[in-house]
This record gives sequence, structure tokens and C-alpha cells, in this order.
Amino acid sequence: MTALQTEAALPDTAQIVPPPKKKSRLVGTTSWYVVALFICAVMVVPLLWMITIGLKSRTAVFDIPPKLLPHEFHWSNFIKGPETIHFPRLFLNSMIITTLSVLGGVMTAMMAGYALARLRFPGRKLWFYLFVGSMLLPGVVGLIPLFQMYKSIGWYDTWLPLIVPAFLGGNPLFIFLARQYFLAIPYSIDEAAKIDGAGHLRIFVSVMLPLTRPAWLTMAILAFQASWNDFLNPLVYLYSSGKWPLSVGMASFISPFAGKTPDWSYYMATNLLYMLPPLIIFFAAQRYFIQGLGALGSTNQK
Amino acid sequence: MNSVSLGGSTTKRRSRRGGMSRNAGSDVKAAYLFIAPAVIGFLVFVGYPLIRSFYLALTKYNGLTDPVFVGLGNFRRLFTTDPAFWPALRATGYLVLLYVPLSLILGLALAMFCNQRFAGVRIVRTLAYLPVVLPAVATITLWKFMLDPQVGLLNTILDRLGLPTSLWLQGPSTAMPSVVLVMLWGVGGTMIIFLAALQSVPTELYEAARVDGAGPWSVFFRITLPMISPIVLLQVILQTTAALQTFNQPKILTGGGPGFSTNVLMLSIYNNGFPTLGRIPQLGYASAQVWVLFIIIIAVIALTAKFSSLWTYSDSTSD
Amino acid sequence: MTALACAGLLTATACSGGGSDSGGSSGGPVTVTVMTWESAETNAAIKKALADFKDDNITVQLLDTPAGNFGDKLASLTQAKKLPDLFWCGNDTEQQYTSQGLLVDWADKIKNADGDFTADKFVPSAMENWKTADGQMGGLPSLMNTYGVWYNADAFTAAGLPLPKAGWTWDEMYADAAKLAGKNGAKYGLVADQLTSADGPFTMSMYSVSAGGAPFTDNVNHPTKAEADEKYTEGVEKLVAAIKNGSVAPPGYDAANVQSLFSAGKVPMTFGGQWLAAGFQTDKPKIKYGFAPFPQVQTPTTIADSVGICTPQYTKDQDATFKVLEYINTKVWDAVLPASPVAPPAYTPAQTSYFDALTKAQQTTVVDTVKADLAAEKTVGNRFTTQWAQQVGDLTTANYQPILSGKKPISDLPAYIDKINGLIKQGG
Repeated sequence: MTALQTEAALPDTAQIVPPPKKKSRLVGTTSWYVVALFICAVMVVPLLWMITIGLKSRTAVFDIPPKLLPHEFHWSNFIKGPETIHFPRLFLNSMIITTLSVLGGVMTAMMAGYALARLRFPGRKLWFYLFVGSMLLPGVVGLIPLFQMYKSIGWYDTWLPLIVPAFLGGNPLFIFLARQYFLAIPYSIDEAAKIDGAGHLRIFVSVMLPLTRPAWLTMAILAFQASWNDFLNPLVYLYSSGKWPLSVGMASFISPFAGKTPDWSYYMATNLLYMLPPLIIFFAAQRYFIQGLGALGSTNQK
Repeated sequence: MNSVSLGGSTTKRRSRRGGMSRNAGSDVKAAYLFIAPAVIGFLVFVGYPLIRSFYLALTKYNGLTDPVFVGLGNFRRLFTTDPAFWPALRATGYLVLLYVPLSLILGLALAMFCNQRFAGVRIVRTLAYLPVVLPAVATITLWKFMLDPQVGLLNTILDRLGLPTSLWLQGPSTAMPSVVLVMLWGVGGTMIIFLAALQSVPTELYEAARVDGAGPWSVFFRITLPMISPIVLLQVILQTTAALQTFNQPKILTGGGPGFSTNVLMLSIYNNGFPTLGRIPQLGYASAQVWVLFIIIIAVIALTAKFSSLWTYSDSTSD
Repeated sequence: MTALACAGLLTATACSGGGSDSGGSSGGPVTVTVMTWESAETNAAIKKALADFKDDNITVQLLDTPAGNFGDKLASLTQAKKLPDLFWCGNDTEQQYTSQGLLVDWADKIKNADGDFTADKFVPSAMENWKTADGQMGGLPSLMNTYGVWYNADAFTAAGLPLPKAGWTWDEMYADAAKLAGKNGAKYGLVADQLTSADGPFTMSMYSVSAGGAPFTDNVNHPTKAEADEKYTEGVEKLVAAIKNGSVAPPGYDAANVQSLFSAGKVPMTFGGQWLAAGFQTDKPKIKYGFAPFPQVQTPTTIADSVGICTPQYTKDQDATFKVLEYINTKVWDAVLPASPVAPPAYTPAQTSYFDALTKAQQTTVVDTVKADLAAEKTVGNRFTTQWAQQVGDLTTANYQPILSGKKPISDLPAYIDKINGLIKQGG
């Protein structure tokens, strides 16, 4: 909850409610809170319900009518559920894959964004258009040819197809975001650094990176989410169960195959643990996150 | 692609100001070094697959034996004999028309709601964004369970309130709206970008309007909406592109059913390229579908951008 | 050398797949990999049974799979040419993969085998279903799948209905479903995914064949035509009526949770395979339940299906792989089925342990029905196994399912059949 108390990212420009008469303001305030409560309920109730199911016994899940509040507490589901998919092992796999692809994706996007925004070179516009254009390309285009390619260079059943693309520019949205953010930084700053004799690498590392913290933190969160949640790629590229990330492991709970009942209570209990890392990271860095995405929403305007 | 041209004009503006480095030679070398990973990545992961898939689209290919060139045969089959293609186009169009406007309206409404000064507004904002952070596979599966007609949460609540229940994902006419409902749970993603846009609208404009005695609706239509219209355009493009490629939700929630009602193009591509157990993949045919989807995306974006000048506000005088 | 190097690694599978240097069927130590689609519990039992396989030169390894994504997994392994030495598959996969030259042909081996592991020890219909047009066997059937109607005995008793049993008719079934629908939280009286899904047109053959009419297609593996005769159309009409009055779940009903709902007493009747018995044994439903053969018109008719085990062309050592295959068919089931009676083995000497286990668990209706099914007078296929099966599936979704749900008139049935015949002509 501490994260919620972080400093308001809403600056003073927040739209001021016109100060009308006292009575109508009271009505306005009340209705605002009623709506707010509704929004919160819509967002939170499904998650609470997930926990309710996670606490139920396997068969109670299918009681009709279902009970909305937990009335039985099978805490052991939170141990046994994860155990069935070797949770610690898969968690570690997910962590390694995700950390590396976050690192690569953010780093190379920041570098490309820096070059596109602050350096002058032939082909700069062309590359910018190409990167932005590739945002519009359906991801599935790559699936078939890339699968064949990885297969032929021996990357099948390794983590490389999940990590290496991140180190090669990864997500074009990040390049776009980085460029937008770099454009907003006053030029006098690197002029000053250059006069001090700094090269581009030093300017990038010691001047630009600290200034653009919200941008790369935002990308890091987005990249974390994307990699942590990715299901299709690891499913297709990894066949040794010892190498699976959590997303694939989670899928093994719900298997309609060979008469196995999907074990919803184990699934939901484990799901909660699976969701925790992105949640923690989001709450910890949400202030920067909202600022960073602002770059997408505002620099563009002018 | 308004965002791009806007970006272009920004550079022009700055170069006029003479902000660029004078040491052009070292700039070029450094620039190529900085941009090299992204360029290699583009060539390998975008350029190569694009060309290769274009070639595959003209072949019959099952991934096991060598591709056989069939010319436009795949496209002919798509447009004439395939019983799944037109329904897939229709489902995709329905999804886009349902999802994109709702997502924009709800996202903007939510952003305006969260752009007010009330204690606790940050909690609302954070919670509204929460679903976006959670793993898609996890939340979609959760929703599938919530929408179950017999044991799901939604029908249980409706039933207790004495309201009519629904078949949700299992009804031929309710399936697509239910899929869109699940997608809209992630409307926080749209909200957050609108929120940033709203916050960059100068306060003086609102104050001036208030002095003129403008009501909240006229403030919205005369100031807020025009000022954020470039972001609205960006959102229209991004959301439409994403909506045309919707895959996870129909795949997990309905598998394309009932009938073809939620069998969107991406799902059809996937099922042809990576079919269920015991069926031979039709990779060439799937590639042809990919190209149709790709062309639709480009066309939609081009049209949106072309007509955008009619309704977006551009601050040309201040430049 | 490779084996030594692999021993040190966590995942020896990576080695067995990548060991391209030891081609042919030379001697020396080999690892034989096995991949199943069974549940974690069944897999554990299989693993334990495989541990007793004794051969100095052969190590057997069971791979983990997310069972629900077995199809995706298999597709990607096929493309990567990394299929395990022995993998579970249906005869549709076997037929198609064999036609692509992907699988080892065991036809000669099983014909000339010595000892007890011979072709005549298998259920004949299973062997027939696994044989390709040119007489190849891209794998061996391992388990028989029989189907029937699972019913909630409590619901039938409460409604004053006689329990379904061999010889009951389709009309009786629909009448029961109509009486059971909407009672005690049960929305529908009957959930019959097999009738309403993409394979539905095949299941409907049971009606026409039982009434003395023609099946949907003349041959499952090598069809020359599809057909909807008078009797077939009558069967479709009855189903359409039952869906219309709400007693049978319509196409689009998500059958993923049907087993759990059945256990909870919320689905009084469901079409299903005998394998559900194994799940019920662990789930322990609160209701009294039973398993009846499919209804009939005149003659008992059922669906035939068998699953099996295939081996890719590039398996390292065919002899070693065959030894493990033999071990699975002859020994492993005896160890696995008592704990988890999934299906009767296709290798008949191993069937005793299956029926014993069910009898011990007092699932007598299952024993009777499975035995009746295996001996049924007439059987029909349950899906196309041909290359263009996917396209038939699309045609069914576009044309057959709307007829069932009443959106298209039944008079559209011939047009649908014509389109399939068009495909057969093109593809065949």
C-alpha cells in the first residue's frame, strides 16, 4: 500500500472543478466517490474472486450456486498448486529470461532513440520510419519464417530466441518512446558536455541516462510485462520442461486432455503467485511509469 | 501516420535553431554504432521474415517437405472457396468496430474522471491500470471462468439481483461482445495515455473558458477534445492496429466459436499454420492470410491518417 | 561418448535429440525418449513402470509435457525434427505423418515378431484403423477408446426415469433429456459435444447405420464419398428438435468443464469416453453415476477409435525403440491401469488388468459398456484422417453447425455434403 502513497504524479494542471454552489459540490463529490467505488470494484473483484477459488477445494469450485466469499480455507492449495509445476525452477527460468530481455530491450532501444533524436546521419529519417512502421507489422508474420530460421541455426530448445531479439532493438515502441523523450531534452545540455570534452558514449551514459530515468523505467516495466507474460514463443521454442518459463507451466494446469479435470483451485492459487512479480514492480515504480508514458501522450502533441 | 510527421517537424524545427552538433563526422560514426543493434534486429526479425513470408504465401508448404510454388493459388482459395475466410473478416471487423470506439470513449472518460482533484484519485488510477500489468493469459483465463454461464461470477451476481443472465461466451450473438468486454477490462492502458495528454493541456485555456461562462460540455468539445486530438489520432491508429491483431482473447476464451462468431483472422491464421493435433500445417496458406491482414492494417492506417486532418487540431500558427 | 557427456547434464533429452553423430541402428548405449499426453498422476505411474525396464544399453526417459498443449508441442517438435522416439498420437496423426514419410513403418516388425508380441494379439479393428492405404504401420495402437453416455443415476431416479442401458433408443434418450433439462441447476438434459462439435457429422453416422442406413462417409482413412441418406437426415432432424427445445446443449457449448459439472450433478447426461472413469475415481463425485452404451435405432452401433504410439524416421536405434515400445504395450499398462484405469489396451493380453481395476472400483457399468463397445456389431469412424481434414472442419462450422442450431434449414444438408464431396475429389 505504501506505493499508493507516493507523490502525486498529477501536477497542478489537473483540471480544476469549477467552484459552484456548496450543495451541488457536495452532490458532485458524492457522485464522484460512488463512481470511483464502482471502478475499483470492477477492477478488484475478479482478483478477489480468484483468491476465493484458490482457497476452495477442488470439487467445491463447481458448487451451484457458487459461493462468493471464501467459506473454506484450503491454504495448502498455495503450496500444492505451485509444487505440481515445479514452481521455483520455472520461476528462476522466468526471472533469467525476463531480466536479460529487459536489459537488452531497454538498452538497445535507448541507444537507437538517442541516435535518432540527437545525432545527425544519413538515413536517419528512413530508419525512423522503418522502426515506427514495423510497429504496425503483425507479429505473426515472423512466427513461421523465424521458427524455421532458429531451427536451422540450432537455437531450438534454447532461451536464445526469447532473449537475443531483445538485444537487437527488441520493441520498436520503445525506440519511438526513447526518441520522443530524448527530443524533449534541451540541447544546451549536451553542448555543455561536449565543451567539457565528453564523447557520445559518455554523454549518453552519464548525462542522458540519468535525465531519462522515467522513460527507461517505463520501458523496463513494459518489457518486464511482455517477457514475463509471453506464452506463445516459449511454448513453440522450448520443449524441455526444465527450461520452461512460468507462463508455459501455468498452462499445464488447464489441460482438457485425456480426461483430466482442470484443477481450477490449484490454478488460481498458483496464478496469484505468478502475478506477484509484475504487480510488485508496477507498484514500486508506478510514479516513474506514469511520467514516462506521458512522453507518449504529450511530446507528440507539439 | 501523423505521429511520424509530427516527429519529423520537430527535428526540422530544432535543426533550424542550430542545435545540432557541428562535429558531423564523429556524429555519423557514433550514430551508426548506437543504432546498429536496432538495425540488425530490424533486418533479421522484420525484413527477412517479411520477404520470406511473402514467398511462402505463393507456395504450398507444410514445413516438412520443400515449399511448392503455386502462384496466386492460395489467394484464390482464400477469396473463393474457403468457408472460413469471409466469416473471419467479418468477425475481425465486428471486433474492431465494437472495441476501438468503446475503448477510446471509456478510456477518455476514465482519464477525465481520474484527472480531478479528489482524495484517493491515485488509488482509482492505479487500480484502473492494474489489469494491464497482469499476465494476459492469467487474466483471460480468470475471465473465462467468471463468464461461465453455470458457475461463473457474473451470472451468479445477475441471478441474485434478479436480473436476466446470459450465455456470454457460449451464445452465438453474445460471444463477441463478451470477448470485447474482457478486452475492455484492460482499458487502463488507453486511460493512462489520455491522462498524460489531458495533463498537458494548458490550464489557462480552461480558465479563459470559465471566464467566458462556458459549461462543462462546451469546455469539453471546444477545448479538451481539440487539444488532445493528435493523441486521439495516435490512439485510434494504435488501438485499431492492435485490435486487428487480437489473438489471445478469442484463442483462450472461445477458440473462435460458437460457429465462426469469434474466429478472427489471427486465429484463423494460427489454426492453419499451427493446427490441432493430427493435422498437417498449411504454412503457405497461413502466410497468404498474414499478407491479407497486413494489407488491411496498412489500408486502415492510411485511411485514418488521410482523413485525420478533418478532425485533428494542429497548432500550425505557433510554429 | 555422447552418453557420458549427457549424463552430466540436467536435461539428457537435449542430447538424445541432438546426437546426430550416431545414426543407424548400431549397438552401444542409447536413450529412448517417451512423450505422453497423460495427466501428471498417470505420467508418474508410467515413469515408475518404465523404471523397471531392464536393458544395459537402453535408458528410457519420460519427457514432461503441458498436457493441454500437446498438439502445439507436437507440431513444433515435428517442424524442428526433434520428435521423441516414442510419442502418443491418434491414428489421424499417424495416417498423415506416414503419408509424409515421417514415421518408422513397423508393419514388418510386428508381422515377423517372435514370442507374444504379435499382430494377432491386438484388437483387429485397431490394427485396421492404423494401417495406411499402402499397408504401412506408422505406429502401433496402444489404447482403445470407447464412447458412450455417462448418466447421473440420482437425477434419473428423482425424475422417475429408468436408467439408460444397452438397447435403449435415440428417442428414449432425447425424451429423458427433455425431462431432465432445467432441473436441480442442470441447464441441459444432455451435453453431447461429439454430436455438436466439428466431428459431429461423423457421430451422427451412429444413428443412420443403426437404422440400416449409410454412414456419413464410406471409409474413414480413404473416403471416396460423403453421404446423408434418409435415415441420416432423420437423425439430424431429431437432434435439431432436441436442441431447439433446450434439452440438448447447442453447438458452441463449452465442454471443457463438463466432467466437473457432471460430478457436481449439474449435467445429468453427457457423451464421453470411458477414460472419464479414471478421473471420477480420483474426483469422487457426490452423485451415483453410470456409463451406458450409445442409444440405437435397430442395431447396436458405436464409435471406434484407438490411440497409439508413433516413432519418427530419425529415431537413433530402431531396435532399441521397438524394445521399449513392446515393453510399454505388454508391461507398462499392467502397472499403470490398476491405479488409473484410463482405457482398455489394444494389446488384448493386457486388458485383464484394466477390467480388474474397474471391477475392483465397482465401476461395473463401465466394464459392461466398454466390453459391449469392443464387441459392438457396427462401428463408425469419428473423424477424417486425411490431409484436408482441416478444411472439412471449416465446412462443418460454416454449414453443419448452423443447421443444428436452427439458423439454417435442414434442407441445406445436401449442399454441405456436396462441398465435402468436392474436397474429396480434389484431395483424393
